[in-house]
Amino acid sequence: MTFDEFTSAVFEEALRMGCTAAEVYFVEGDSAEIGVLEGELDQYSVSHNFGLNLRVEYDGRNGYAYTETFENPSELAKKAIDNACAIESADAHPMQGKSEYADIPEAENPLFELDRKQRIELAKEIERAAKAKDGRVIRVSTSEIASDDSTVIIRNTLGLDAKKREALSYSLVGAILSQNGEMKNAYSFRSGKEALNIDKLVTEAVDNAAAQFGASPVAAGEYDVIIKNEAMADLLNAFSPMFSAENAQKGLSPLNGKEGETVASELITILDDPFYPEFARAFDAEGVPSVKKAVVEKGTLKTLLHNLKTAKRAGVESTSNASRARLTSPIGVSPSVFYIEPGDTSYDELVKKLGNGLIITELAGLHSGVNTVSDEFSLLASGRLVENGEIVRSVEQITIAGSFLETMRNVDTLGSDLKFGIPVGSIIGSPSILVKGAHISGK
Amino acid sequence: MVDKNTARAVLDEALKTGGDFSELFCEDTETNNISMSDGKVENATYSRLNGAGVRVLKGTRCAYAFTAGMNERALMEAARAAAAAIDGVKEGETRTFEVKDYRRSPKLPFSAVDNVKRILLLKEGTAAAKAYSSEISQVEASYVDVDQRIMVCNSNGVWAEDRRPRTRVFVQAVATKDSEAQTGYESPGLGMGFEAFERINMEQVGAQAAKTAVTMLHAPQCPSGFLPVVIDGGFGGVILHEACVHSLEATSVSKGNSEFCGKLGQKIASDIVTAVDDGTLAGEWGTINVDDEGTPSQRNVLVENGILKSYLFDMLGARRMEHPLTGSSRRQSYAYAPTSRMTNTFFAPGSDDEEEMIASTAEGLFAARMGGGSVNPLTGEFNFAVLEGYWIKNGKIYCPVRGATLVGRGADVLMKIDRIGKKMWMGQGMCGSASGSIPTNVGQPRIRVKEITIGGKGGAL
Repeated sequence: MTFDEFTSAVFEEALRMGCTAAEVYFVEGDSAEIGVLEGELDQYSVSHNFGLNLRVEYDGRNGYAYTETFENPSELAKKAIDNACAIESADAHPMQGKSEYADIPEAENPLFELDRKQRIELAKEIERAAKAKDGRVIRVSTSEIASDDSTVIIRNTLGLDAKKREALSYSLVGAILSQNGEMKNAYSFRSGKEALNIDKLVTEAVDNAAAQFGASPVAAGEYDVIIKNEAMADLLNAFSPMFSAENAQKGLSPLNGKEGETVASELITILDDPFYPEFARAFDAEGVPSVKKAVVEKGTLKTLLHNLKTAKRAGVESTSNASRARLTSPIGVSPSVFYIEPGDTSYDELVKKLGNGLIITELAGLHSGVNTVSDEFSLLASGRLVENGEIVRSVEQITIAGSFLETMRNVDTLGSDLKFGIPVGSIIGSPSILVKGAHISGK
Repeated sequence: MVDKNTARAVLDEALKTGGDFSELFCEDTETNNISMSDGKVENATYSRLNGAGVRVLKGTRCAYAFTAGMNERALMEAARAAAAAIDGVKEGETRTFEVKDYRRSPKLPFSAVDNVKRILLLKEGTAAAKAYSSEISQVEASYVDVDQRIMVCNSNGVWAEDRRPRTRVFVQAVATKDSEAQTGYESPGLGMGFEAFERINMEQVGAQAAKTAVTMLHAPQCPSGFLPVVIDGGFGGVILHEACVHSLEATSVSKGNSEFCGKLGQKIASDIVTAVDDGTLAGEWGTINVDDEGTPSQRNVLVENGILKSYLFDMLGARRMEHPLTGSSRRQSYAYAPTSRMTNTFFAPGSDDEEEMIASTAEGLFAARMGGGSVNPLTGEFNFAVLEGYWIKNGKIYCPVRGATLVGRGADVLMKIDRIGKKMWMGQGMCGSASGSIPTNVGQPRIRVKEITIGGKGGAL
């Protein structure tokens, strides 16, 4: 069966079995990853993937079933109905009806223009460029070109028929440097229209690895810190579940019921902008047209992130933040393009302003050392020691511990250097921020 | 899933451009997921993955193509897509298959279990957590069962079929007082059918999650320091997983990207340390009958009395280092080319007294329950979170402490293990790496590390 035939058949079966509505979320696409090592093709993975997730509304409740074969529509409908019957939560999860969407210009992905051989050559070029950048580069652990080009269709029995293209392309490099028996490594990526900018790509990785030589811990204590843009974006990403109305409604977020209250320094504005150029999308994972909003505005929590279910429960409109963690997952909530609005202080000025303290360039352990319920983190960190506004040496094997909201309240100055993390799933960005009084452990 | 003639045609097609080895991996996996919030079922999902991947090797070059669906046309296209990355002329053909069937039917297949039974488990866990203390304000619980059926065959004549049922529950309790909240969780799992719940006691699962949350709610912040740490058994073995064995995977070692490169036969840990990766333990979460390249799983002694004995190999890693396979090649699903991974990884039992480890510690941390962590295999720098910790003062447990992280370097910390207890047990995790997220066990007896960096934001206690 084709997608259209299968979808019609599964809708017919679902309605015949007593469902009041049915919806399919279908993704089909092609992906390619190409990597080289020592001038030879080392990693090559191409795919054609597709999958269809059926959601039914049965007796006021939702149930899901996912398949990768277009066979047996009635079996799939039956599985979804079984799952709907298991639901005990009384919260309704409405489906979106027929909708109009904004025209989104196609993002530039020059990498898509390259054929297989050209991509292999480009990956080799990345490796050569990284080696040529610095005599201390002993190996390039990763020289990779990746792309994914997918079509998403959401169609339901209420008349919704939404279709969008999700295109992603990036280049990735990992450089290993050696000096006096010490080895250091760092990665960097460039995505979309920047993906072919090999010089910037390798310079960043090589410089970041080189900067770690001679690092050692600092004495434990309270330090003023700059959390550099990438590290801050990682931290914001890890704490983003706090802004989900789904978590708040379950009592799993300290921001529950705090709309309208001051939760951060008045310097802080956090935006969720699904129209942000290059990352723009017309609708969310349940077909709700995209909405740009300030989540935190000058320190005040304006709204949490909603899908149709959490919005209905809260008596508000969806903020177009429905998501699917995986293709097989039920509809949840997550940010779209979520970032701290930058200030106007350059990174160099920020370092001068810090005077004495630490720059945190990298955080590790974000999947385990962060608790979004208690609002606490304790993470492995590395960076630089700053004295009298000058970087004096590199720092490693320290931890930084604190509370995310407290960090947001203690922000002293915002940098102008907004940077986004790798654009997979939610896209999270931040400028570097100067924060007073962070807890550091070390020697 | 696929008949032998089709498989042969696909493998031969994949060899057409000069590959010296081709492999077809087919998978049909059913998963049921149920999540409960505050005692009420909130979501229930079913999914069926159905697809295949074709891999071609030429020396240490590797090309992989995968596709949803398993019809002959899609498989042949995948074979051609993989072969396209190799340039040469056809050298060989697929040998006669030697069929090995590792499938065993679970005692209680998930298909024979209805949602009512699954939900009952979550209700028991939730009720036990709530009953533990009036400070428990919320309980999140979830259940998953996975029935993975795989077939892997290759041009060397390997044909292996396996069925890998597994199931796991997760209970997270939130304890609240005034504006403060703390969490605890417990998430046991086994590599078997629904009969797993003859062994998993949901009341204990719920109560344990609640105990951690309530204990941490009343705990001061952990001080930072460079001090001895006693790490309890079970999931505490995550220290071995992160600080050592990720760096023993051929994925890192064969490319020179590990701090343990070239150290076979050398001392890398203190004399009392023996570490094992064993994929053969019946019914365990990380167990596999056969790996995802068709090699039977085995018990691999990685470190014996402090001496490095073995790395973990997949075929590509073994080719790079000219070493026999260790049955360690794994992947999350057909959407990943396989690579060297762990199964059930643990410190073997030692001879030290569990109480003495604390009694002989003047000041330090007792990490009763560990969370996850991560490592940079190149430098060995690791970190992991302590979910339930206690401060030790003058050889006695002084008070619970919250928010601790342990950081260090693998090579340092292995040399600093100065006690290993007698009783080993394991905990369950999902391990993420190049070939996706796979179920693994970590385990150890209670151990002591002489000194390690403890990160926290508390003052002296």
